[in-house]
Amino acid sequence: MENVLNQVLLHKNSRVGADYILWKNSWGGQGLKNAMERPADIVSMIRDAGLLGLGGSGFPTHIKWQAIADQTNTEKYLICNGNEDEPGTFKDRVLLEETPFQVIEGATIAALACGINNVVFYINPNLKTCHEVMQSALAKWLASEIYHNALQQGLNLKYTIVASSGHYIAGEETAAIESVEGKFPFPRGKEPRPTSSGVNGHPTLINNIETLCNVPHILRNGVQWYRDLGIGEANGTKIYCLSGDVLSPGVYELPMGTPLTELIFNYGQGMLVGKELKAVFTGGPSNTILTEKDLDVNLDFKSVSERRSALGTGAMIVVSRGTGIVKRVAQYVDFFAAESCGQCPACKTGTYYMSQLLGEIDTGKGSKADLDSLVDLCKILPGGGRCHLLDGAVKVVDSSLYHFLDEYKESLNDDLN
Amino acid sequence: MTNNISYQEALANYKAVAERPLPEVNYEGLLEKYHPDYFKDACVQLKIGPNKGDICHIQLAEMLQADARIDEADLAGAQVIETDILIIGGGGAGCAAALTAAETGARVLIATKLRLGDSNTVMAEGGVQVSIEKDDTPQQHYDDTLRSADRSVDKTLVAEMVMSAPDVIRWLIQQGMQFDLDEYGDLLTRKAGGTTAPRVVYFRDYTGLEMMRVLKEAVRSSEIEVLDYVPTVELLSDEDGHCTGAVLSSLEDNRYKLVKAKSVIIATGGIGRLHLNGFPTSNHFGATGDGLVLAYRLGAKLRDLDSFQYHPSGLAYPQHLSGTLITEGVRSAGAYLLNAQGERFVDELQSRDKVAAAIMRECAEGRGVDAGNGIKGIWIDTPGLELKNPGIFNARFPKLIKIGKKSSIDPRKQPLLIYPTLHYQNGGVIINKHGQTNIPGLYCVGEVSGGIHGRNRLMGNSLLEIISFGRRAGIHAAKYSPRKPFRKVTIEHLSRLRRELMLADMPMDPKGPILFPAYAKFETDSDYSGLHKNIKSK
Amino acid sequence: MNQTTETLINATINGKAISAPEYLSVIQALWHAGYPRIKSVGCLEGVCGTCRVLVRRQNSQNITTELGCQVLIEEGMQVNFLAFPTPAQQHYKLEDIRNSWEVQNNFHTIFPEAENCRHCGGCNTTCPKGINVEKGVILAAKGRFREAGDLFTECVLCDLCQSACPENIAPNHVGIFSRRVTAHLHTRPSNLINRLERLRKGELKVVI
Repeated sequence: MENVLNQVLLHKNSRVGADYILWKNSWGGQGLKNAMERPADIVSMIRDAGLLGLGGSGFPTHIKWQAIADQTNTEKYLICNGNEDEPGTFKDRVLLEETPFQVIEGATIAALACGINNVVFYINPNLKTCHEVMQSALAKWLASEIYHNALQQGLNLKYTIVASSGHYIAGEETAAIESVEGKFPFPRGKEPRPTSSGVNGHPTLINNIETLCNVPHILRNGVQWYRDLGIGEANGTKIYCLSGDVLSPGVYELPMGTPLTELIFNYGQGMLVGKELKAVFTGGPSNTILTEKDLDVNLDFKSVSERRSALGTGAMIVVSRGTGIVKRVAQYVDFFAAESCGQCPACKTGTYYMSQLLGEIDTGKGSKADLDSLVDLCKILPGGGRCHLLDGAVKVVDSSLYHFLDEYKESLNDDLN
Repeated sequence: MTNNISYQEALANYKAVAERPLPEVNYEGLLEKYHPDYFKDACVQLKIGPNKGDICHIQLAEMLQADARIDEADLAGAQVIETDILIIGGGGAGCAAALTAAETGARVLIATKLRLGDSNTVMAEGGVQVSIEKDDTPQQHYDDTLRSADRSVDKTLVAEMVMSAPDVIRWLIQQGMQFDLDEYGDLLTRKAGGTTAPRVVYFRDYTGLEMMRVLKEAVRSSEIEVLDYVPTVELLSDEDGHCTGAVLSSLEDNRYKLVKAKSVIIATGGIGRLHLNGFPTSNHFGATGDGLVLAYRLGAKLRDLDSFQYHPSGLAYPQHLSGTLITEGVRSAGAYLLNAQGERFVDELQSRDKVAAAIMRECAEGRGVDAGNGIKGIWIDTPGLELKNPGIFNARFPKLIKIGKKSSIDPRKQPLLIYPTLHYQNGGVIINKHGQTNIPGLYCVGEVSGGIHGRNRLMGNSLLEIISFGRRAGIHAAKYSPRKPFRKVTIEHLSRLRRELMLADMPMDPKGPILFPAYAKFETDSDYSGLHKNIKSK
Repeated sequence: MNQTTETLINATINGKAISAPEYLSVIQALWHAGYPRIKSVGCLEGVCGTCRVLVRRQNSQNITTELGCQVLIEEGMQVNFLAFPTPAQQHYKLEDIRNSWEVQNNFHTIFPEAENCRHCGGCNTTCPKGINVEKGVILAAKGRFREAGDLFTECVLCDLCQSACPENIAPNHVGIFSRRVTAHLHTRPSNLINRLERLRKGELKVVI
């Protein structure tokens, strides 16, 4: 069988750490070189390749890039979003630690394509090694032949590494902008969009680390190569973060659209001894639940969404029989309640109250009225916050109620019903 | 039925005028004809219990002579809690007793039906009576209280209360309560209906709110244990009939809890939510007279069970705020009451029973305002007061401005429609100056107790009473030590109750206390299925 | 009788479809429709802070926190009662604060989170009484207790600001602490003190 594991982003040629020589001698600099030759074509290449936002949105990358490229401002920003803080997601950490040059080159090409002159590597402060590796790699990059060649051809860029605040919410696009401006990461309203007014009012592109890592390879190998990597209608590869009750948890770069069963039972080597699969929380907890009925689903954005779920960041948290769904969901909602920034009472008070209700139900003290109230909140709350944190919290509750309502009912206090 | 004048027409008749002379008012037979205490068929004789043969309001009598909610079987496996002092009720009186008792080092447990502070105290607006002005004395305070009572009172209780009033205020300030002060830092006073001197100290029209949140905060930040949502359904007794604790029913897990205590202080408040004679009420949701029922069953003697206060100025319109109180402070500040013809008809600072009866007379004789849907009332002339005293509402009655906003009526520009609302239970459990009842180990304080107000309570005497007697009971209960603490806890006294009920040929199906007004549907709420008792009868 | 025709309003309360006349509060509407409601009901006058609700009005993205007894039912309104318990609180005794120089330090020991305010404004938005809660917290953290307390004149301790605070400050208790400490240390009315002194000397008696 053809080896489809770790073909690109996590290929050994990419995982060179802060060793510039290794990078240069493998496939480093080729993407940037091609980009420098025809910068006007980069956005259309990204479009034709069908690159999607891999931080969870699945939004076509070229649309954002085009919007930035169309702005005539002299100051523009790129925020390379490495705030990664969701439970179950740990792919950006691997990319920053092991493939820093891939990140830098990808960001440089993005900047080139959009006329951006400020590149900010925005990294969670808890990822200390990532900061160290990126600092070391960036210093080498600035002294490198690849970079100097680009400078001579007219590249004009300033790179900075910024520690995010470490809050989960700091990964939200507009919160990241606030954070880069040195403020508390409060998400802003829906308007204006960052592409027209972001950091200090300048147009700002925000891309996830994994998204940017794909860019040098598309430029290096071409559009068709990238499209052929995916399974079915999906393009490229995806880094899946497999965790939970499997034998071999970890990061697996696989063709986009790899079936869930492949990921769990082939690459993850199946369930732990004596455990049976019960459910998979996808994309970290701000997404939804898949059950054993969904094992055949292809793990790409479109296919997963057809199963009343979402691919999200590609995190797959596998839960076995015997695990209390209510307890798991309660833990996730506690996480959101603690991470809600406070600006929108619907979000802060809403998640707080959901976490109280889930706690009551999980500990066997819940009444029918508590469950009714929880169901009702899933209808009232969505859209009530200015960012998506609240919706994420509601989604995981709503999804668990959809698949495991009986388990909720069994947890209720019999004396109260 | 007499036709009153329509809201629109009456509003057209109304004109804001700063000064209006007092007309000739006939008070002869006013109470007897119009006050609800005198309604024919309103009262019956009690057939059982320590007050057998006494006159009692018919709805209260049904409660006092109801069967208990529990049997021995209900107590099997119940959680048992031990404490020195159990306080039933988390309003102002209960908190004052708890704080005072806890200061002596006693273990104190407050059990409340709803949440700590959910009470009538928090809604009291007017203020606290205390004789501190130069031309005022405790004697005058005493005399005013007696005169307005219009019936025999327990003079010792009144004397003790008025003498302790200044120290009550001092204690409240030490707990952190704020009062309205003049520019020199002196307590501002105002006159209450039926008093001879300005004697009511207050904080805006939020006196009760300020008092309650301070006491609640003091309790919550202390060592006192508080159980919310645990209605008490029965007291516990030993073989001598002494009170030894209580049975609580938890709305959290639908189970009963037994509390063994050296002494029990009942501070459950009043009965407004029984809606006597079909009246709306200014009372809190939990005011269903539980304490009276519990104490009576154990043999505590009650008094004045036919006398209730209807506060003259309950909001009548708009309907969703019906019964909401407009503080007497507005009248004592000088607001007039006007009928649908725009005329004064009573001395606004007469005692509450007379003013209420006069309002009912206006409406009965066709001079009231008809607001549709059966709503009637008369005007309280708030624009006139604003005219006379510009800015007074913003400065002193902010709550009223808020109420105005909720009803889209600015009280500074348009008069408010009011009608008497059931406000206070004048009588209650007989106590001595320490709050002790005739049952050893059982104390009653606040509205549940009787003897101070006679037939008519003065504004500001209730907030004074709850703190004065709450503290007394707290101190005394902390010192009280029963002969056999924590030994025998039974509900033996219920056998006596049931025997009496059967001998008197009384129905056994209503179970008391009712705990919640019928419209809240406690008895059919599936959330509390384990605690239902009155399903058949309701 | 002057009978006006009633308009019935349709709304959803705790997931239950309710039809009730327009002049009813959401609590009254629930009762009117025959549903039980025990918890989250208190004074029914907006001063006890028990009946917290989340409200979403028709065609609105905005979700508000209000007091159920004060909200009139509206067409298409969705309401959820927030029956969460009062969280555990700080323990302190006013008597332990020896003088006004020590209040500020005591305050920060009792409310260590207060200085972490991140100025999100959630407490202000959530307050059903429209109190400038955040300013109150900041004033208290700076030791301006009288000014801070004055802002909380209408506070009913509904705990909504507490549920809304991402830094776990208990803003309402900060407010009540500020009010209490102000009275405890500074309210000294001469008319009251004079009267207490005359009573102490036995100059005033009541003849029964």
